Amino acid sequence: MKFISANFSETLFQPKIYFPLILILLMAVLPLIPQNPFYEDIIVSSFFYGAMALAWNLVGGFAGQISLGHTAFFGIGAYTSTLLYLHYALSPWLGMLAGVALSVLVAIGIGIPCFRLKSHFFALATIAIGEVLRFLAAYWRGLTQGGVGLLIPFKPGIENFMFKSKIPYAYIALVLMLVMLLICYWIRNSRFGFHLISLREDQDAAESLGVKTSRAKLMALIISVVFTSISGTFYAQYILFIDPFTVFSLGISIELALFAIIGGLGTVAGPILGAFMLTPLDVFLRAWLGGVSAGLNFIVYGLVLMVAVKYFPLGISGWVRTWYGPFLQKLPGGRRALKTEAAAVPSAVTAKSLEAAQAQQKASFFEVRSLSKRFGGLVAVRDVSFQVPKGKIIGLIGPNGAGKTTIFNLVTGFISPDSGEVLFQGQTITALNPPHQICLKRIGRTFQVVKPFRGMTVLENTMVGAFARLQNAQEARRLALEILDFIGLSKDHGLPTSSLTIADRKRLELGRALATRPDLLLLDEVVAGLNPRETEEIIGMIKKISDQGITILMIAHVMKAVMALSHRVVVLHHGDKIAEGTPLEISRDKRVIEAYLGEEYLA
Amino acid sequence: MDITILQLVINGLLLGGMYGLISIGLTLIFGVLEIVNFAHGEFLMLSMYAAFWLFQLYGIDPYLSMLIIIPVFFLLGIAVQRITIQPILNAPPLNQIFMTVGLSMVLQNAALFIWTADYRTMKTSYSALTLKTAGLIISFPRLVAFLLAMALIAALLIFLKKTYTGKAIRALAQERKAAMLMGINVYRTYQIAFGIGIACVGAAGAMLIPVYFVFPSVGSLFVLIAFVVVILGGYNSLVGSLAGGLIIGVVESFSGFFVSPHLKEAIYFVIFILILLFKPTGLFGRA
Repeated sequence: MKFISANFSETLFQPKIYFPLILILLMAVLPLIPQNPFYEDIIVSSFFYGAMALAWNLVGGFAGQISLGHTAFFGIGAYTSTLLYLHYALSPWLGMLAGVALSVLVAIGIGIPCFRLKSHFFALATIAIGEVLRFLAAYWRGLTQGGVGLLIPFKPGIENFMFKSKIPYAYIALVLMLVMLLICYWIRNSRFGFHLISLREDQDAAESLGVKTSRAKLMALIISVVFTSISGTFYAQYILFIDPFTVFSLGISIELALFAIIGGLGTVAGPILGAFMLTPLDVFLRAWLGGVSAGLNFIVYGLVLMVAVKYFPLGISGWVRTWYGPFLQKLPGGRRALKTEAAAVPSAVTAKSLEAAQAQQKASFFEVRSLSKRFGGLVAVRDVSFQVPKGKIIGLIGPNGAGKTTIFNLVTGFISPDSGEVLFQGQTITALNPPHQICLKRIGRTFQVVKPFRGMTVLENTMVGAFARLQNAQEARRLALEILDFIGLSKDHGLPTSSLTIADRKRLELGRALATRPDLLLLDEVVAGLNPRETEEIIGMIKKISDQGITILMIAHVMKAVMALSHRVVVLHHGDKIAEGTPLEISRDKRVIEAYLGEEYLA
Repeated sequence: MDITILQLVINGLLLGGMYGLISIGLTLIFGVLEIVNFAHGEFLMLSMYAAFWLFQLYGIDPYLSMLIIIPVFFLLGIAVQRITIQPILNAPPLNQIFMTVGLSMVLQNAALFIWTADYRTMKTSYSALTLKTAGLIISFPRLVAFLLAMALIAALLIFLKKTYTGKAIRALAQERKAAMLMGINVYRTYQIAFGIGIACVGAAGAMLIPVYFVFPSVGSLFVLIAFVVVILGGYNSLVGSLAGGLIIGVVESFSGFFVSPHLKEAIYFVIFILILLFKPTGLFGRA
């Protein structure tokens, strides 16, 4: 026992660690128990569907992209390895890799156009993909024998991926499931997982924090497809018969989604719970009802699905979560684990560690040059130019519809200008698209209507911002906690964003942008709708941010805030820049008064 | 023009009229409720069975049975909307998608349970009747179906333009909040829009049954086409759905003749992807 360090055994003795390990051990002995093919089959199927549901959940749950065409990849895996085996006697183990390669190629070809679609239409496109592949598999009779299907002659042997007993199949499926589970666990706690969940909750906000949303979605799809394709090969080797209507059936895609939803969508282990509950149920339903008539089990599935999305959107995990934590504490070693957990939160550090940039007074730190944008007949921004010197706070004001937010969207790449340019640190950044590139150039922004990631805690929201510069989750967590301390939300770090007041949501929005460590921060109406005391607090906070050398361009309606903070003010009216100057000059400018109050006040 | 080409165009347009009618229901529902009805094809299947059994059991001609099917499907649509769609109108897209996907599973398998997987066709006196003029051969039931579909679509468009309810539906499709402020009863209007959408697909089923066979998953065949049509036409334009339907009908007729009738699904899919890549708003859609 001397080989194992005290640290390791201590870690192992936490219920959080050893309880899941016990569950895994139980699963590992499970296939040896029944000694009966009927029950062994249920175990194999449960592991197998568990693995597939986990893979589906990565795309459908984590990234929130509802795919109803996952059978496309299942079918590709099954057909590729089977055809290679039948025609070229290639071992299915190698055929499996070929299937994976083909699936990944198809996924990239399909993912790039389809990820541009919004929710419902993405689901629709994926259905179309699965259906088309099914028609193609049925059509190419020369290759696939069409609807007749392919029979794999039974030649047991490990090199042929065929076994006399079901037990080796059970272990292969278990390994597949556990590997997928580990990957999901790792993803959920990594930068990549934060990116996926943030883009699911709000794609624009994620982009503004430097998340490469298109790439993240594609990566999730590729990982998911690899496992789905492997499962296809496994299925072919287990059943030893495939035909287009089974391996490309829309039903399997829906089943996978159903397992994930019932178990807990977007959770790490939820899909396994769903698969373990519904797979045996399915087998029994089929055994009991299937003899009476086909289709009954799917009627039950459909009803379960409809009831679940209405009444239990959180699935079993939602319920498990309510007792799992307290249950772990009651296990031996539970108390201690709790203590370390509490101590793990580092003591708050002041925000001075934020990069204090060398204030190099350079006129062209940030510049907007002759920017124009029209929406149909409406000119939103017309030939607007202004500069923001480094280290200053510049206010951007104007009545409703003056084009302030449009300028922000033009600068941050959410829309492209019709003409003009944007320069940042001597470089043109006009129409850098998609918006994450702007964030990575160190321009942060907030949104007028706050966009918190609802499925994440306050801390996790801030961590998404921190991941713009950091790879490591521990470092991101540390930075996020520092930021939360600075914006005064550290005591709420574990809360979901829905429990925050509007003022706190605005702070979070500010903190999240700050966590990306910008050189230039674009603040859109951060004080709108706040009471005087809250406004004071945010004004103080903006001053502090500015003191650290971060340049600020802010839109504000509250004159008090603009006057108190800005070194200079730019005034827009109907898309035109009508004035620029110090706050005092602006408050005396005729055109500004006219724009705000109307001509009659001038007289 | 070559007579074969003309024949293919006519065949395609006759077919496309049906696609247009099916797709218009889908577009109307999406435009107003912002929900893609994944169970749309199953309602087509149900109406085909309804027309089939009305003919088999009571000898009611399918065209005549539309008089029963349209109002019954309108009411069915209202009931389905009330029970399944209304509760999830403000839920995340995932819940909305799986509600109608679940509904589609239930309906399709209920049909399988009740009527088995057999393909059923009906023989009417005019099923095989054709009109021959100037070297062209036109199927009588397909022509009737096309004309009826056009008449129904015209009636629907006039209804949406002229009546208060119609205007309310259009207002809701354009700006939900403003429509509510104008005193439109939003929930009732949702139900009516869904009911009309289902009535359209119900009428299409009755028109199809004299020339097509019915089986429990027949809907998924047509709904795939309808989805392509909706994307092609621009998913918020009713006229676009009609035009898209006609275009897809002609494409199907040409590809069936020049390529292979078995590859039509693949060709739809290529069109689908091309639209997504190059004109995501469709031919008639608003951005």
